[in-house]
Amino acid sequence: MSFDPTYTKELPLVSERASFPELDDVVFKPTESKPTRKWFFAIGISGTAALIGAICLGYTFYYGIGMWGNNVPVGWGFDITNFVFWIGIGHAGTLISAILYLFRQKWRTGIARFAEAMTIFAVMTAGIFPLIHVGRPWLAGYLFPYPNQNGVWVNFNSPLLWDVFAVSTYFVVSFLFWGLGLIPDLANLRSRTKSGIKKFFYTILSFGWRNSNRHWRHYERAYLILAGLSTPLVLSVHTIVSFDFAVAVLPGWHSTIFPPYFVAGAIFSGFGMVATVLIVVRKVFDMEHIITINHLDNMNKILLATGSMVGYAYAMEFFMAWYSGNPIEQFVFINRAFGPYAWAYWIMISCNVLFPQLFWFKKIRRKIPVVMTIVLLVNVGMWFERYVIIVTSLHRDFLPSSWGMYAPTMYDLGILLGSFGMFFTLVFLFIRVLPAISLTELKAVTFGAQPHHYTHNEIDNKN
Amino acid sequence: MDYQKKELPKKISTIGFALTIVGGLLIILSFIFHTERALYNYLIMFMFIASIGLGSLAFVAIEYMAGAIWSTPFRRIAEFLSAPIPLLLLLVIPIILGANTLYHWTNSNIAVNDPVLQGKSPYLNLNFFIIRIAIYIFIWILFYYLINRNSKLQDTNNDVKYTKNNIKLSVAFAPVFIITLTFAAIDLMMSLEPHWYSTIYGVYYFAGTLVAGIASFGLVTVFTLEGKFFDSRINNKHLHSVGILLFAFNIFWAYIAFSQYLLIWYANLPEENYWFLNRMNGSWVYLSLGMVFIHFIIPFLVLIPSYAKTNLRTLKVMSIWLLAAHYLDLYWLVMPTYDKSGIVFGWVELGFPVAAVGIIMLLFKLKSRNNNLMPVGDPKLEGGINLTLYPDLSID
Amino acid sequence: MFKNLKHKFQEIDKDLGIDPRSDKLYAVTALFDNPVKIVAAAEKVVSEGYTKFDVNTPYPIHGLSDTMKLKPTKLGSFVFVFGALGTLSALLMIGYMAGIDYKSIIGGKPFFALPPSLPITFELTVLFGGISTLGLMLFFFNKLPWINNPLMDTEYMKRVSTDRYGIMIQSDDEKFNINEVVKMFEGLGSVQISYVNYFETEEDKVKTPIFNGKFIALLISVFVIVSVVTYLSLNVMIYNVPFDWMWEQAKIKPQTSSTFFADGRGMRNPVPGTVARGHLPYLYKGMPDSSVKFTANPLPVTPEILEKGKSRFNTYCSPCHGYYGKGDSRLNGQFPNPPSLHSDKVRNWQDGNIFHVVMNGQNVMPSYAKQISSDDIWAIIHYIRALQRSQNAKDSDLEVK
Repeated sequence: MSFDPTYTKELPLVSERASFPELDDVVFKPTESKPTRKWFFAIGISGTAALIGAICLGYTFYYGIGMWGNNVPVGWGFDITNFVFWIGIGHAGTLISAILYLFRQKWRTGIARFAEAMTIFAVMTAGIFPLIHVGRPWLAGYLFPYPNQNGVWVNFNSPLLWDVFAVSTYFVVSFLFWGLGLIPDLANLRSRTKSGIKKFFYTILSFGWRNSNRHWRHYERAYLILAGLSTPLVLSVHTIVSFDFAVAVLPGWHSTIFPPYFVAGAIFSGFGMVATVLIVVRKVFDMEHIITINHLDNMNKILLATGSMVGYAYAMEFFMAWYSGNPIEQFVFINRAFGPYAWAYWIMISCNVLFPQLFWFKKIRRKIPVVMTIVLLVNVGMWFERYVIIVTSLHRDFLPSSWGMYAPTMYDLGILLGSFGMFFTLVFLFIRVLPAISLTELKAVTFGAQPHHYTHNEIDNKN
Repeated sequence: MDYQKKELPKKISTIGFALTIVGGLLIILSFIFHTERALYNYLIMFMFIASIGLGSLAFVAIEYMAGAIWSTPFRRIAEFLSAPIPLLLLLVIPIILGANTLYHWTNSNIAVNDPVLQGKSPYLNLNFFIIRIAIYIFIWILFYYLINRNSKLQDTNNDVKYTKNNIKLSVAFAPVFIITLTFAAIDLMMSLEPHWYSTIYGVYYFAGTLVAGIASFGLVTVFTLEGKFFDSRINNKHLHSVGILLFAFNIFWAYIAFSQYLLIWYANLPEENYWFLNRMNGSWVYLSLGMVFIHFIIPFLVLIPSYAKTNLRTLKVMSIWLLAAHYLDLYWLVMPTYDKSGIVFGWVELGFPVAAVGIIMLLFKLKSRNNNLMPVGDPKLEGGINLTLYPDLSID
Repeated sequence: MFKNLKHKFQEIDKDLGIDPRSDKLYAVTALFDNPVKIVAAAEKVVSEGYTKFDVNTPYPIHGLSDTMKLKPTKLGSFVFVFGALGTLSALLMIGYMAGIDYKSIIGGKPFFALPPSLPITFELTVLFGGISTLGLMLFFFNKLPWINNPLMDTEYMKRVSTDRYGIMIQSDDEKFNINEVVKMFEGLGSVQISYVNYFETEEDKVKTPIFNGKFIALLISVFVIVSVVTYLSLNVMIYNVPFDWMWEQAKIKPQTSSTFFADGRGMRNPVPGTVARGHLPYLYKGMPDSSVKFTANPLPVTPEILEKGKSRFNTYCSPCHGYYGKGDSRLNGQFPNPPSLHSDKVRNWQDGNIFHVVMNGQNVMPSYAKQISSDDIWAIIHYIRALQRSQNAKDSDLEVK
């Protein structure tokens, strides 16, 4: 079957079937062995970054938002840029887990669990920013509509509130989806572990799963339903984030294409981050035969497609700004390209539109150092996209007398660094505590795993 | 494989011919008695035929790009449905001739007093307009010809290089298609109201095109499946993806439509909201509200259960339903410019959709002559026929 | 001491907590090494008429549910209901909170509008659907957790999680005969047959495990801990430094005392010569009529201005002058009555003269410059003119022009 490159052929095969015990050992190795020096080094760096962020956060809580660069007219700066950036990164995980499952793309199995975990950690990191940017984050409970002593309900018309519901739902459902996939693997770990403490936790967390087929059919349906629910959910979350901007009357923000544009951008940046992390992880943990170059090739194609969609949105916005005849709208776009933040704009254009076009070429898609460079640039470019949208539209809007400039303070930068630190720390912890590859799904799609992979001759000969 | 090349039933061309004649007569009468109203209806018909032809071609391109196997046995259906594309070159002529009636910005009296239109005149002037439309249609015809030719040649040659070439063509077609389709929608439909603009307009028409494409594909495939024109191993389970895509693309359309509406409603800017206010004026409001149910809620609820996606009767009914909904969508986009006060509906409106269906049927039958209904040389064909779905998304 | 702790820890770690087994047989199990064989085995077991059996595989095998004659799962319909419940809850919640209970006009939009309510409605639909999917699947349909199922901690369970496909027939099945079962498994080509006994402390029936006593106790303790933490943080902690810095601000609020100023007051008098808005100082204050240049009324006569004048007149002037300017007011007799405003003298005064009287005061009447702004006084004057005309109407006023 020349059009179904069974990537699983690269797994160690024993008499036409992959050896499952070997698979078990390879996938479970990081959870069952002592941490290596490489791992300590990695988590040392990310932990330090997280610590720096925590310190800057502490200063922010104590002294207030004045520690940041936010001012009038730029009321949103690094805080919301980072929020949108991290939420966007979470989307790739759900796309790989849920959407590729619905499209029956087998190649997702090796990377789905890892990507889904990255989603959860990205959403956790993102959720910090709306909390801390309000100035009195300890009162954040008022964001939820419960009967409080102020006698006030929340403002249901506000997209910021829609965000509260959207991000919370996204976190819960992603977590449940991830947890569902983990149950059979945790049951497997429970059966094979030799540590009493680990056995205790695995037993509870696997809910006494015993691989019964009477259970598998409900399980599979639950998986399908959660995948089917996660797909519109992920589209809706970044749509609602885009509404934060698009419902305003600010030129440069009020543009009907924002919802699909933001979703495409989120998938784009998310895949950039997933690719970055996977390239590192597959090398460090010797999983190159499970996370193969074909996986990276496919991810790069998706990067090319979504990057082009982002480019389309840039072009549409630009064209419509001219077409509208609205001088303020036109000025916003000229200011983006040639004003004081032009450097950020051109970083954005080159990293998001130009460099990913190199992925048209198959050779480049399969050359790891080039791929790594481009995906890192994608991450940078997408961060700058949010920066450009927020800061350039705010700093010069309708009245020239209200114009101002924005510059981040070291606390802004520290918190950004800390967010990366927190994210990667969680990733490194995850790799050691839980199986990073969904073993059950992987086994189910290897060649020879299902009865219809065999012809009648083979069945008779096997006996 | 027991597929044998059979001629499609003659009644397709008979019915198609009859519909075209009846519709055509009504169209001619409409132009004689109600020229301006007929022009608007004609534009709607043109965009409808374009969306079916282009949606089908896009479907073929997507199959090549994604390496999808399930649709390979049925790909010819989509190829035949893309046959109206060359005809677009002829069909666009009445629109060009009637541009002065349809598009106010062509009228120099109006433009000269309006500084906004003056500003847009480098783009919105008749000459550039004609050049652009010609470019779009030529590009579409080019890709239509090349992709279909490669597919047909593969029947006799069985050479994998045709598939590889078509993949390259499809990949090149994707960005070109989305750009030309966007600007075709902007030029032909959005500029009817030259003061109004929406950055998502191109995506809106694209979403409708996808729905029209998959609906027409699904409808015709069900008919041919029931007529046993395919290999005998093909059954309704192979069409599971059609149900899913119909469901998904329709939700995508609703999502785009809602985004556009919510943002304009929320900001409530007078320079934007009048477009929607016109569509809430008088009896238009019934159509606008009705569209929510017709184009979204009812198809959504019908297509949610998993059995609905493999039930041939449900697929047939929902495909016809969604095609009608798409025509209604185009009508809702275009007609309020003609008459802001309320719905215009009469014998004038009937001829156009009838003729559109007739033309598509005729062209389909024409293209299917001397052509295999299954791409017998395609290397993915056996895989598509022997399809076992992972995950098995039909009921156990 | 640390070595002791480490030793203790290692001991706990080594104790795998495997419970002892009783002598009662639970099931006979058979392992197969091939997915085709397990499907064949399942077919055989079903055809032999066994009902209390199960198949355990490391991953779901296609077609096995049909072979085991299992009915398709109803999870989808249940989730749909819960999702619809989510939709309804969201719409009712927003409809009540924003549309009925606490109406506020935000951005000129209706109190409850459908378009902005849809995002939250959608999210709650998905949330309810998602939670119910997992919850129903685990707790309702699969009746998990059943932690001490006899199959746990067996070699069978270990192999069936890794690379073997297993089938087990329970001993309490009607057709169970241990020798027949073993022979059947051998005939099917099993690679390993074993016997699984109950644990010593085993309940025979499978109850819905979430009503287990220990679990309920856990839930209650979680509830208590969360409540205490919430109370302490929201009712105690946030009234302390630094959380109270927003309301304990180093600024003087109106009507508070202050140690900064000598007189102990926080509020200060305005600097002498301060002019309040609308109260520009009157040029001719204290001057006799003869040296005053009377200004014309700057306001036009419109219905709004007359309304304003009427309301101000009724507020400020009517206590003494009465509602019709006749001087027969509520303060009749307690204060010297003012002369009627309908006298020829007043009717012949210019507007500016009346203005001068109001700003300056006259006899018993004090200056009203501090109470009424200049604009309002001019409006009052228009109203007085209207009153005067009303009390001295001529027949010709009734003629239609």
